[in-house]
Amino acid sequence: MKHLLRALLWLYPPAHRRTYGEEMLTVARFRWQAAGGAARARLVVVADLALGAVGVWTDRLGSSTTGVRGGWPTDARFVVRSLWRSWGYTATTMAVLACSVAAAATVFSFVRGTLLNDPPYPEPERVMVVWGSNVDDGQLRDVISGPAFIELQRQASGFALIAAFHRGAAYLLVDERPVVVDALEVSADFFRVLDVQPALGRLLGEQDRMSGAAATVVVTYPFWRDHLDAHPEAIGASLPFEGEARTVVGVLPEGFEFVAPAPLFIPLRDDVLAADHPGRIHYNVLARLEPGVGLADTSAGLARAAERFRDVYPGFEGWSFRAEPLHEIAVASVRPVILTLATTVSLVLLVALVNLATLFRIRTLARRDELAVRMALGAGWARVARILTLETLLLAAGGAALGLAAAPFLLARVSEMVPEWIAIPESASRLPVLRGVFDPAVASMAFAAAVLGTLALTVPSLLSVRGARGLGPGHRAHGGLRGTRLLVGAEVAVATALCVGAGLLVRSADHLLSVDVGLEHDGLLTFYHGDVWGAVAADRTTYFRGTVQAVEALPGVLGVGVIDYVDFEAEDDFARIYVLDRSLQPTRDMREEWRRVDNGLFDAAGMRMLAGRAFEPDDFLGTTRAAVVNEAFAKKHWPGRSALGAFLSTHDAAYRDLEVVGVVADVRSLGPAVAPPPMLYVPLQGNPRGTMGMYVRVAGDPMSHAPALREAIWSVDSSQPITSVWPMTAFVETWVAVPKAARALVLSLAALALLLAALGVFGVVSYAVRTRRSELGVRLALGATPHRLQRDQMRTMLVVVVAALVVGLAGGVLAARGARGMLYGVSPLDPPSVAFTILVMAAAALLASYLPARRVGRIDPTEAMRAE
Amino acid sequence: MPAEPGAAPPLKPNHHLILLLLAEEPTYGVDLLERLDRRSGGAIRLNAGSLYRTIGNLVDAGLVEPLDEASGAEGMGAPRKVYRVTPHGLAALRAEARRQESLLEAARALDLLEERA
Repeated sequence: MKHLLRALLWLYPPAHRRTYGEEMLTVARFRWQAAGGAARARLVVVADLALGAVGVWTDRLGSSTTGVRGGWPTDARFVVRSLWRSWGYTATTMAVLACSVAAAATVFSFVRGTLLNDPPYPEPERVMVVWGSNVDDGQLRDVISGPAFIELQRQASGFALIAAFHRGAAYLLVDERPVVVDALEVSADFFRVLDVQPALGRLLGEQDRMSGAAATVVVTYPFWRDHLDAHPEAIGASLPFEGEARTVVGVLPEGFEFVAPAPLFIPLRDDVLAADHPGRIHYNVLARLEPGVGLADTSAGLARAAERFRDVYPGFEGWSFRAEPLHEIAVASVRPVILTLATTVSLVLLVALVNLATLFRIRTLARRDELAVRMALGAGWARVARILTLETLLLAAGGAALGLAAAPFLLARVSEMVPEWIAIPESASRLPVLRGVFDPAVASMAFAAAVLGTLALTVPSLLSVRGARGLGPGHRAHGGLRGTRLLVGAEVAVATALCVGAGLLVRSADHLLSVDVGLEHDGLLTFYHGDVWGAVAADRTTYFRGTVQAVEALPGVLGVGVIDYVDFEAEDDFARIYVLDRSLQPTRDMREEWRRVDNGLFDAAGMRMLAGRAFEPDDFLGTTRAAVVNEAFAKKHWPGRSALGAFLSTHDAAYRDLEVVGVVADVRSLGPAVAPPPMLYVPLQGNPRGTMGMYVRVAGDPMSHAPALREAIWSVDSSQPITSVWPMTAFVETWVAVPKAARALVLSLAALALLLAALGVFGVVSYAVRTRRSELGVRLALGATPHRLQRDQMRTMLVVVVAALVVGLAGGVLAARGARGMLYGVSPLDPPSVAFTILVMAAAALLASYLPARRVGRIDPTEAMRAE
Repeated sequence: MPAEPGAAPPLKPNHHLILLLLAEEPTYGVDLLERLDRRSGGAIRLNAGSLYRTIGNLVDAGLVEPLDEASGAEGMGAPRKVYRVTPHGLAALRAEARRQESLLEAARALDLLEERA
């Protein structure tokens, strides 16, 4: 009992405990003993002691003991009035906080959306991607062939389920015209790997695995809503595709989003996979680990499957399987950018809070007279602290609320800058960028961080008010300025570091943007057309020649070329290639990318011939056929000598005994920062695909030519589909969008930090001049020139600024070394970036200290001394 | 510096009672409680927390002050601070009495007290 009562005393304010604690214990014991065994009465004793603490605290913080009347409402009114009077201070502090909170909420929404959010499928840590890889060829993340997938399914251990998928297109008949819809061909276990449940009907399963299975399709929720009128009876309905009709068997849940946003999922039967050519690599593979199995436990099974595959299908030496977590791949490419942004925005938030503390400190110092008077009139320091806290709270909450209101708009703007897709490094596959969604949890955290941070940073100033007790009006406190100067110095240092980082990112993005991608993308329109897979090679060639002629005849068309896969679209197509000797016998073989193109392609694309010649219309006549290789191909396979005149064959019987007639400049089709892949170009006449890409060079805006192009193609055959009509520039931009967005964001954040630092410098110098009016007045009267006094005022602050600049530069360069992976073409110690930072920071600091120091010149000595 | 008692708001009932008890005779906590229990017929029962919150408030407002520490006269050894009313406290009591008197007069004028009698 004794201990309980004594412990309760700790709930009381220390002063109260010291003064009355022992007496309270005596009284409480007296009551306790008087209560006898009555539990209720004893409870009252304990409760009274506890509640009394609440009462005393309330009295302390309230006004009943201070002699100055009025409670919270009075103080709140006073605070609002005083903030209104100093509207400049109010607006500045709130703007500072609003900007930083808006930036923080935006960036952290992205962090949460990309790095912290669970992917839209359960147990993401168990979902793996399995790649084909050939370390000798430098292929780490490759798609695999159907037979390889079958072996994988049979041999790999540790996986509960393995599924293949392929991103393609389906031709849906609308008014008897084929409309291309993105479709994902997926094997039977695909949805079970992701553990998705249908919203309606069923997803794919065993009945879709075997040959002879009914033609079915699973649709996404938006497709069901928009195209099937959200009708429950859509299950079992027939969708007309070109060639066959498919029965809708299921609808995916709302919000289901996989790596490829296709509205249709078409089953991929095991027999189709098994019958595929082992070298025709085509499929992505997803697998779900068995419960309790780690990624490392699967390597033996993967090795076994690869060995078995190599045994059954000779010619795949060096080839193996590799598994990695799907989510890890999805976030790996954006993680450095997002983390850099998160660090930057945290630093800016910190600078903003320090700035607020600085402004608050200066305001408190400036108000010491007023506060001293209030305390002399009987207000306890607690009351004064309450007023100051209220003021801080109001400013912090107001600024943070403004920032949060602006955050969704900022988020929308930033989302526009971020590309929809990003390339997976060392792979031709792409993944969608997960998006930042305005998140109430993130918003509340930003709000709380701003308010609590501001409060915490103002505590020292609050405590300094205690020191003002007993000081009369007129007492000046210059000492407080020293700490404030250091705070501003810290701001300048952080801002400097951020400026260095921003400068490096700007230069890096500029480098990326100015890289020669190997073709002239401006004024180039690209699209896919045709679905003539059923025709023989000669008829396909005739069809594509016909469409080229029809397009060439259009006004404003400057050149036309045909290629099977549009560059920068992240598509790849590999061929088995044999290097032949003079007697046309194969000497070695390799796997490289190849493209089938027509004779107009290089010219239309603006690709430069480095040696030899481009294709000519009759290059495919006669016994020896022409081939063109790119520079990377020539350097890799004929290092140090000319590729011209060399002979090659491919796995495709239509392309045998090819003679290299030209070397063309590399197209950096995997992005400007990635080394271009070796590439073999062959004439399309041999064996064109049923769908080909077309490059059309036009005068003016490429998209404005799209309608005329469509009509021209349909004038050849009105039943042929046309898809993916895009200006080439749009693809090229995708590759640089992330660095560009990062550049814009970091630049804005650095500008904000710079502004904050300048504001801090301005505040300190301005305060120093104001409080030293009389001293400066005396010195002016004694003959000092205003110019000299101005310089004195600026000098103290600028010494701190110079030191901070040095610290900040060092910090910025060190941080840039850590984030070297994000830099392209610039070193962390990039002289222009460092010089630019010094220039900007020095100019900002000079201006920010000169403007308030100028007021020295306006001091009237007689008036200043009279005021004293 | 405490405010003028005359300008002060009406005393709270607890404050008033304790001031009155201390005005009769300076005393210490436990004794104060017992007298309060007796005087109010058990209707007002303060405990340690509420009693010393009230005393604290009265001391802070300058209406009551502690006398120099007196040791436990009854040999219990417990500390026993004796409190007494200050001149300000007396003035506050007077002001309160006047305020209540005027209220009583108003009530009498309405025959409220007569009826009860």
